[in-house]
Amino acid sequence: MSFVFSEENLAKIEALKLRYPSPAALSLPCLWMAQYQDGHISLEAIEVIGELIGTPPMEIYRVATFYTMFHLEPIGKYHFQLCKTLSCALCGKAEVLEHLIQRLGIRPGESSDDGKFALSQVECLGSCGTAPVMQMNDLYYENLTPEKIDAILESLEGEHR
Amino acid sequence: MRECRIVSQKFDIYQSHKLDIAKEHGAYSSLKDAFALSPHEIVEIIKLSGLRGKGGGGAPAGAKWALMPQDGAQTSYLAVNCDESEPGTFKDRQIISKDPHLLLEGIIITCYAIRSHSAYIYIRGEYSQFAKILQEAIDEAYGAGILGADVMGLGYGVDVTIHRGAGAYICGEKSAMLESLEGKRGHPRLKPKRPEPEWYFGNPTLVNNVETITTVPYIIKHGANGYRAYGTEQSPGTLLFAISGHINKPGVYEAEFGTPMMEYINRYGGGIRGGKKLKAVIPGGASTAVLTAAEAECAILDYEHMRTIGSALGTGGMIVMDEDTDMVEALKNLLEFYHHESCGQCTPCREGTGWSDTLLGRVLDGKGSNEDIDKILELAKTMDGQTICVFAPAVAIVIRAFIGKFRDEFEARVNR
Amino acid sequence: MSQIEIVIDEKKYAAQEGLLLIDLLIREGLKVPYFCYHEALGADGNCRMCMVEIEGQKRPQIACDTNIKEGMIVRTKGQMIESVRRRILELELINHPVDCAICDQAGECKLQDFYMDYGLYDSKIDQAEKVHHKKHIDLGSNVMLDQERCVLCARCTRFTSDITKTHELGIVGRGDHARVTTMPGKKLDNPYAMNVVDLCPVGALTSKDFRFAQRVWFLTSTPSVCHGCAKGCNIFIDHNKEKYKDERIYRFRPRPNADVNGYFICDAGRLSYKELQENRQLEMLIDGMVSKEDEAVACYHKLVADGGKIVILADANLYTEELEAIQKYAHILGAQLCAPLESYRDESFGDDWLKSSQRAANAKGVEKLGIAQILSTDPVALLINFNHPDGSKIKAQKSIHLQTHQMEGKADLVLPLAPFSESSGTLVNEDGIEQFCPKAIWRNEPLMSAIEWIDLLQGGER
Repeated sequence: MSFVFSEENLAKIEALKLRYPSPAALSLPCLWMAQYQDGHISLEAIEVIGELIGTPPMEIYRVATFYTMFHLEPIGKYHFQLCKTLSCALCGKAEVLEHLIQRLGIRPGESSDDGKFALSQVECLGSCGTAPVMQMNDLYYENLTPEKIDAILESLEGEHR
Repeated sequence: MRECRIVSQKFDIYQSHKLDIAKEHGAYSSLKDAFALSPHEIVEIIKLSGLRGKGGGGAPAGAKWALMPQDGAQTSYLAVNCDESEPGTFKDRQIISKDPHLLLEGIIITCYAIRSHSAYIYIRGEYSQFAKILQEAIDEAYGAGILGADVMGLGYGVDVTIHRGAGAYICGEKSAMLESLEGKRGHPRLKPKRPEPEWYFGNPTLVNNVETITTVPYIIKHGANGYRAYGTEQSPGTLLFAISGHINKPGVYEAEFGTPMMEYINRYGGGIRGGKKLKAVIPGGASTAVLTAAEAECAILDYEHMRTIGSALGTGGMIVMDEDTDMVEALKNLLEFYHHESCGQCTPCREGTGWSDTLLGRVLDGKGSNEDIDKILELAKTMDGQTICVFAPAVAIVIRAFIGKFRDEFEARVNR
Repeated sequence: MSQIEIVIDEKKYAAQEGLLLIDLLIREGLKVPYFCYHEALGADGNCRMCMVEIEGQKRPQIACDTNIKEGMIVRTKGQMIESVRRRILELELINHPVDCAICDQAGECKLQDFYMDYGLYDSKIDQAEKVHHKKHIDLGSNVMLDQERCVLCARCTRFTSDITKTHELGIVGRGDHARVTTMPGKKLDNPYAMNVVDLCPVGALTSKDFRFAQRVWFLTSTPSVCHGCAKGCNIFIDHNKEKYKDERIYRFRPRPNADVNGYFICDAGRLSYKELQENRQLEMLIDGMVSKEDEAVACYHKLVADGGKIVILADANLYTEELEAIQKYAHILGAQLCAPLESYRDESFGDDWLKSSQRAANAKGVEKLGIAQILSTDPVALLINFNHPDGSKIKAQKSIHLQTHQMEGKADLVLPLAPFSESSGTLVNEDGIEQFCPKAIWRNEPLMSAIEWIDLLQGGER
């Protein structure tokens, strides 16, 4: 169980080093790359990043645990992150959450047994004008309704077929 | 209320994020004017324009620029803050996705004015799809010789690098953002005792919000007075105000400072949803003191007026709440936010945000007492002015305004 | 930086301009509460306890982030500042288990101290509502961690990142979920690790070696110098005498000395108190048989009177005063005196900080007194060894050993010698700094030092 960055990522890291006064600045970009590569950030990846950017692994680990978007454990492939902050709460977040719980069969903070879905409630996504909103992996889904959730799930199933 | 489009000029143009479309509509046309001026002259124009930081603080931008060393002896940096995470605020994402080239134009001018050749745009991690649009714009600009070693043949080099956050509200605090940009946890730094620039790996650095930088090309083109044609004497120009919550037409609409709040709510926001009555407005992002409907009636959207009524203009992101809103739940929602987002560095904030959230939870569950409400207010006192950054003082403001103005609703929960 | 005058609590103080206010407060013995500040680690500003009032500032300021300026007027007392401290302290305790009764830090805990100074309120916090973390974590290197007692001052993590640069410890997580830990699967592992126990102002980090051994309020601290190597780190010997029993040492702690060890000691030196108490030589032995003092003294005189060449070996851990007495005595006896220093060299021990490869505490003292260091290989009639480890290398027909601990090899006469903790004297460390060590331990039946033995053997009274 060792971690190796892809050639493409290694090239990106080398290119980025030229953009910063110190390679230490690359901990967030490297953690992102590791997470996109593996779906989560393993301790091995943290060691490798430390080596690459000349930072003690403990410091990388501390960084990884500070930012809520980094996952140190594997998480469902489709990560539904529903915004729970005020504007979304005022505009019907509760109903959407109920529907998500029902459709996915998991509660916030959980991943489905087949590893396909994960559900989280997150703080303000900065999309208050189109509340309620959620982020699924890298994409925003705005002005959510239970019907929209159904459509999203259907399209995901289509992807799998 | 005048129509004004300083930052949002291209927002309604189809595919305005593409370089050729943007250029058709004037993108990068201020650069020749800018480079005809000396860096010092640009700083002076910005000072004269009265441009104020649009990230929430409203500090004069020119004065901040002037803190940057003028001799160019040391490498310096521009760090553009796009960590937009203040609840109720969603304006910067409009800029980076609808008119990224105007931002890049502003960055080039700002870099030149502060003698920097490198700019970073720190974008909150969640905004990945918007960061992608911005990256495409940057790539196009490099391809067209607008960014890189020689900006449009003007003999000045500027590199722009996007740096993605990864989920931490506190990284919107400028020193926390720089820590994060240095690859560390987003812990705000101890504040200097006298005015000085920010520091990035020990190098002098200017930190400005995306919208502030995006305003710069207009000022260069139209002069300080052109900008001052909008707004008020002390709050000149415009802001991308935003409106959300119980409102018919939520969104981001640019307006000049000095616009009456209700006019904005009714004209741009299309009034309260479902024809209901207004109960309260959080005027400028979650961290500004909530206003009652009566206060909102006479509120005017500029820095000075908002302060005189005991609140703040903040980011200009208004959250509208109608008559049916449960203010206890609304405060609980915000306290959960602050509890989740405290970096945990200073004791009063780390423990105070969590404890006030827990106590309000008691109240909400019907297990609270009047003492708990008073205790939350006392915690607000402990969090106010005792910490490294203004996160905890903001929580204190939020608590005081909600409980102070809607105490009967909190007490009703206790007596149930 | 120039010398300036500032006013603290209506009294004038002179100090260097720009000095940290907290350093001045500590130096002048003015009461100021703090968790995160430490002279060796600098300011971090996270605990917010060291609030003072500064005239002209609208809010209270932390003394650890305030540089003093001419004419500054500071107040460390008064209702306002005490109320601020009280309220912040209350927050420190919100998620703390308040388990003082079973906490080993009790008695030397800053939370307890400050509570007595500023707190004294009734807590209305329900245990069930507290944030819970892990307890009883064995970090390695004899250090135990209780995350719930931690106040997140970051002293321990700053120690491993800034001082040892080994980076084992870190604060992970965010907000009230922040906690101190090692990387999963990794241990705290460096030769100075146990200093984090002293640095910890509360009961979060405790020493596995010391915890539950003794309540600290029973302990007496005597200043001394570690005898683990030639560095001469300053220590406190913490000891206690229970009724009827012999006095015991429970721990060594570092004693700050900017010229020698700063604020720290190595773990090897810290734990060397154990060897000091084990395998002690307490009896007088003639041909391996326990004997009485008069018999032993008679035996000694007989062995010396038998004539022939005498060699005296002296331990380079003895105090300078003892070495001088031995030197004089050797002269009287016409004996050859040597104290080979090579015997103490241990290249695997030394580093570039506080650990010296020369492991004799008074090696420099030996050099200064001009005592020969060559180990004589010629056969001799009699060896008198004052605790030198290489006594068995001397080819002697007869031998007398004065020793603190039981040693390998046979001697015709063995006399028990008081170790450094049971006598007093001066050491010269490897940098030439002379340091005095008072007597710390008073045994029910005291052992004699080298000086006392020489007095007695020269016909003096015990």
